[in-house]
Amino acid sequence: MTTSTLRRTGDGGDLAVAPGPRPRPRRRGDGRAAAAFLAPSVITFSLFVLIPALGVILLSFFDWNLLSDGTFIGAENFLRLVGDARLWSVYGSTVFMAVAILLVNVVVGLLLAVLLEVRMPRWVRGVFRLSFLFPFVVSSSAVALIWRFLLNKDLGLVNYWLGLVGIDRIDWLGSSVFAPISVIIVSSWKTIGFSILIYIAGLQAIPNELKEAAIMDGANAWTRFFRITLPLLSPTVFFLIVINTINSFQLFAEPRVLTQGGPGDSSRTIVQYIYDQAFGNFDLGYASAIGITLMVVLIALTAIQFRLSRRWTFYG
Amino acid sequence: MYRRSRSLAAVGAATALTAAALVGCSSSPDSSTDGDSLEVVYWNYGPAAEAGNQATADAFTAANPDVDVTLTPVAGENWGTYYANVATLIAGGKKPDLMLISGEGAQFVHSNDLVLPINDYLDEDPEAEALIDDIAPGLVDGFTVDGDIVTLTNAWNDMVVYYNTDAFAAAGVEPPSADWTWDDFKSTAEQLTADTDGDGTSDRYGFTWASNEIFPGIMPWVANAGGNLTSDDVCEATVDTTEVTEAVTFLKTLIDEGTAPAPMPMSDVFTRFQNGQIAMFGAGRWPIGTFVPAGFTAFDVQLYPSGETYKTVFGGSGYPILKSSANPDLAWEYQKFTVSDEIEQQYVGTPDAPGDSIPSRRSIAATISEVGVPPQNSDLYYASIDDHETLVPYPAPAKYSEFESTVLRFLQLIFAGETPVADGLADLQTELETIVTC
Repeated sequence: MTTSTLRRTGDGGDLAVAPGPRPRPRRRGDGRAAAAFLAPSVITFSLFVLIPALGVILLSFFDWNLLSDGTFIGAENFLRLVGDARLWSVYGSTVFMAVAILLVNVVVGLLLAVLLEVRMPRWVRGVFRLSFLFPFVVSSSAVALIWRFLLNKDLGLVNYWLGLVGIDRIDWLGSSVFAPISVIIVSSWKTIGFSILIYIAGLQAIPNELKEAAIMDGANAWTRFFRITLPLLSPTVFFLIVINTINSFQLFAEPRVLTQGGPGDSSRTIVQYIYDQAFGNFDLGYASAIGITLMVVLIALTAIQFRLSRRWTFYG
Repeated sequence: MYRRSRSLAAVGAATALTAAALVGCSSSPDSSTDGDSLEVVYWNYGPAAEAGNQATADAFTAANPDVDVTLTPVAGENWGTYYANVATLIAGGKKPDLMLISGEGAQFVHSNDLVLPINDYLDEDPEAEALIDDIAPGLVDGFTVDGDIVTLTNAWNDMVVYYNTDAFAAAGVEPPSADWTWDDFKSTAEQLTADTDGDGTSDRYGFTWASNEIFPGIMPWVANAGGNLTSDDVCEATVDTTEVTEAVTFLKTLIDEGTAPAPMPMSDVFTRFQNGQIAMFGAGRWPIGTFVPAGFTAFDVQLYPSGETYKTVFGGSGYPILKSSANPDLAWEYQKFTVSDEIEQQYVGTPDAPGDSIPSRRSIAATISEVGVPPQNSDLYYASIDDHETLVPYPAPAKYSEFESTVLRFLQLIFAGETPVADGLADLQTELETIVTC
């Protein structure tokens, strides 16, 4: 049995077949060993992901308030989705905030990671890296609590500082325009460290010889970035787009603590809405039906991203 | 074909598991609770809740050495989420004997057929009569649903105005008296609002209220305007009435005129009040459990100002016996024990470590000022329910959590100036019509 590795060639994007390493012949007992290694993951995945996910699908056909007997109601919960104006409004807010957070993480994260790679004293680089990464390891609720204090319209420090440069007080948490922006700022501030970390790993994996060769050929910094760094970083960018899309659509703690989803539903996310339906309204069936829509949306978005990624990711 | 049947089997297995969970969630007369043991579920809102419940359980065990009491703390950011988490616990198969509830939860536990009413116990237990006589009638009414008394009230809170005495002194304003009116209040709040650092913007505001709760938020104002958020039978929303509109407009005016900052959650209010950025706010007795241990005692309390009327807005707590209890008689003894002298004294506290609620028994509450627990006006806590008309019933429909979140969602829009008061309340009324029903 032979294997081969598909690789994208440099310019035209044509696929070429490169020979792979010769595999070791399969031995007796390999299957059992593989099963033993896989078992913890399979069991954990089944217990905590697969079975609950199937349970959610089942629950979506029930009317159940946690305390009474569940009643099978067929597709009624799904029919409710169509007429639920709040749901679509919340989806709108979610998409707006998710896209913005995704863009900040992917674009600004890349910019900051590249800046961190320029020559500077090691301790300065360490301080910057720590500063960016620190919010990521702090609890989301704690971060949101502190920002809620800072962003208060009349007594917050942010408006105080803005006032020093002549900017009027902004209702960061109470206005339908600024509440989602506040969530975007806080959530991006919290998560961008992760993107920077992944970008730095990707940047450090790019062979120095390529950059040195480009310098020898007279390529300037822009050319080197767009012709060498970015293409070789494309798998990292793709990974971050997928991860950040999923994470952004699952945003919960920041809007819940910062704005309670308001004013109205302007900064409410779909996961908050699911939570409200399940544990505020005790409507587990309907919450499950909404959860399924989110699952479908995320699967569809991820599939589209994988499909489109073939056109622009470069596995060197 | 093989793969397809495997998949179907997997779905079937999951279906069976979930169906079993669904069946398991229904109430059952069986219980795993042992006859000489009790399981008590309580809201773990912080160390005070843990310590208080542990002390009660320890004292009960000391008095009844054969009984084993298990405490199950349940988290929750407010009463609504606590009830949701308890419901999840019960759905998961737990069958506690007693659970801590507030007045807001009385309709919820009653309508879900979770509790054993205590009417019979009260009729048959001679000790109970003496206890009930020492508890203000309003506190009993607050836990009565359709004639069923859900629980004895062990502690309660009324909504009063906290004022920062340092801020009053700095502004040269006299402390308020119990007979103040909305106009007096507004004038006082205006005098307290100040730009203390001279940067051209206010950094001390006269008043604010919690944006994340109804009771310490708009309810005292609605009650004193002569209104309520629901009808007397709590079967119909009444938020678009003249009285509610008047109360909400009054609060909105405070924001518009700059005497109140943009509303914020209660925890933020506490901090702003202690550091002097807020001169007055409304709450129950619970803030002193935070203020005094932190060394902050520059505050006192006063009744809310009168509008068209004055009505004390209050809420209690108790430990109802759940129908899942294997030993309701023992559970009754525990409930009764929660209003015993020994336990009620915990709510009084000491000058350094005050309790965070008012004892339900009048004779015990009277000792608060005797032992020197701040604030100075502590006597008005119990007097507010004994000497003044109360808001009964207070608006706590069976779907309380949904009700509260809906009210707060619309109030956010109104107080942010994104919708006029009348329009916002009309929209709120429309939405509440499907939530507040019987």
